[in-house]
Amino acid sequence: MNKPRSFTVGKLISNTTVLVITLFFAIPMLWLVLASIDQTASFQFKMPVPTVNHYITAVEAENLSALANSLALSGIAMVVGTTAAFMAAYVFSRHHVPFKNPLMLTILFLSGIPISILIVPTYKMFAILGWFSLVPTGVLLGVTGLPFQIYQLKNFIDAIPSELEEAAFMERASSFQILRLVIFPLTKPGLASAAIFGFVNAWGNFLIPIVLLSDVDQQPAPVRLYGFMGSTSINYGAVAAYSIVYSVPVLVLFLSMSRQFKAGFSLGGAVK
Amino acid sequence: MSSSLSFGVPIAKVGAQEGGAVSPPDGPRLDKPRVDPVSFVFLSPAAILLGGLFIGPVLYAIYLGFTNLQLIGLHAIHYQFTGLANVIDLVDDPTFYQSIWSTLVFVVGSGAVGATLLGLILAIAMQGSAAPARWVGNTFAILAWTLPPSTIAFVWLATTTQSGIIAMLVGMPNLDLLYQHAMLFVSLANAWSFAGLSLIMFSAALRSIPEDLYEAARLEGASSAQCLMQITIPMLKPTIVTVALLMMLQTFGNFTIVYLMTGGGPGNDSNILPVYAYLQGFKFHKLGYSALLGNVMVLLSAILGWLFLYFGRTRR
Repeated sequence: MNKPRSFTVGKLISNTTVLVITLFFAIPMLWLVLASIDQTASFQFKMPVPTVNHYITAVEAENLSALANSLALSGIAMVVGTTAAFMAAYVFSRHHVPFKNPLMLTILFLSGIPISILIVPTYKMFAILGWFSLVPTGVLLGVTGLPFQIYQLKNFIDAIPSELEEAAFMERASSFQILRLVIFPLTKPGLASAAIFGFVNAWGNFLIPIVLLSDVDQQPAPVRLYGFMGSTSINYGAVAAYSIVYSVPVLVLFLSMSRQFKAGFSLGGAVK
Repeated sequence: MSSSLSFGVPIAKVGAQEGGAVSPPDGPRLDKPRVDPVSFVFLSPAAILLGGLFIGPVLYAIYLGFTNLQLIGLHAIHYQFTGLANVIDLVDDPTFYQSIWSTLVFVVGSGAVGATLLGLILAIAMQGSAAPARWVGNTFAILAWTLPPSTIAFVWLATTTQSGIIAMLVGMPNLDLLYQHAMLFVSLANAWSFAGLSLIMFSAALRSIPEDLYEAARLEGASSAQCLMQITIPMLKPTIVTVALLMMLQTFGNFTIVYLMTGGGPGNDSNILPVYAYLQGFKFHKLGYSALLGNVMVLLSAILGWLFLYFGRTRR
């Protein structure tokens, strides 16, 4: 059987399309990498004069402490969000609670609301309560990821067969024991991806820290990056290196979990 | 301890319980599902957090939208309810209408069209391309999606500004694209940042199209183009709607990229609603007015969210 010619033409078109779109994605990233190792970096796209100085600058005193602040904020957000989401997701998946559907719909709706609407009221709240510091801000960042995490974990727990819990229930295990000894071990992969979502969500947030953390010592990396971008004489190489150092943890975490993320994005069966 | 496990009965998904309670085919009859008090203990952390730091603030913002609260000055501490004063200002605010228009252009152009189409074209092209090309395409699109928004803003600022990459490629170093076409390049950056997600969703949908449809078409002598137009696109239609709505929701919330690239400028060219609300609150110190703009955003995202659910529902 010789294949009709249109298929080879189709292949050619496919490959060309993929490569063109890939270039569209890759060129800006390539510029970023080249600029970060270029002694004389600018916005121009050229062969670098190799240096590692920019990376050394990127992990110097204040830049490093901004990264540490990001780590603290994201860590708090991750723990708070994942813990609360796990317990709530278990109830939504397995227990009867009144108004379950309206509650789930509310949570789904919350996961689609732009976070920026929270800024004015939380600013006012934090001002009244004197909360302009890392821990409350980290908790708030955790809450912004919470609705999606509940959905992610609920979908995960839904897929766990209930026979194990029934057996534990027959053995007179309490709800706490079932959660801790049966559900928790089985949900570990789902928990890992929910935790990573919570971390990444907080790590990337720029608006909440810039409004709620007035203290320069507590600024996280994205706010620092913004400070660099706003200055009149940008040291492009240093900013490029810093944004790479800032982005790499997220990329590593994300790509390690990409398979579970695809499951998480099925948003209540919206994507089959 | 009475745990109320639904024995062997899968809990119905959201929206599938309109027909009343699910009666289990076997096991104990649960005319009235018993509610376990422990459920509320488990729900309490999420309830307290969401109530105190999400739903509470949203409701508080509704009130603040009708006050003359300021960031600094006399009305920072002693603010009062001013009724419809902010709403009247809003109706008379030309920048608000411009902002609504920019937001529409951004959400529809960059989200529903840009990011969705980029992902769709790439997903379809990857089906017919060689394995290495597929791997590279996947990797870079998903990389772009995972980068933090601040990094994306910096990269795109570098790409589109004076003597940036694009300007150098077309050989006009003084061309300041971002300044001249702020909305276009902000939209492009946004589409670039979300196309990876739409690619993931379309790839999954493409894999679920039965192969024998294509085999039958080929036996009938259909060309690739015909297969694409007659099989792939119709089969993907529901996914296209879902992805387009999700992209719109995500784009609507994208404050960071726009704010860092243009700050809403030049003039008010790229002043989308989230950016405008931020500027009103934290640059012009009108927190009350900013809260009202936020409330407009809640209404808009409620409409988008409702559409998302509505179309997601009709699929099943």
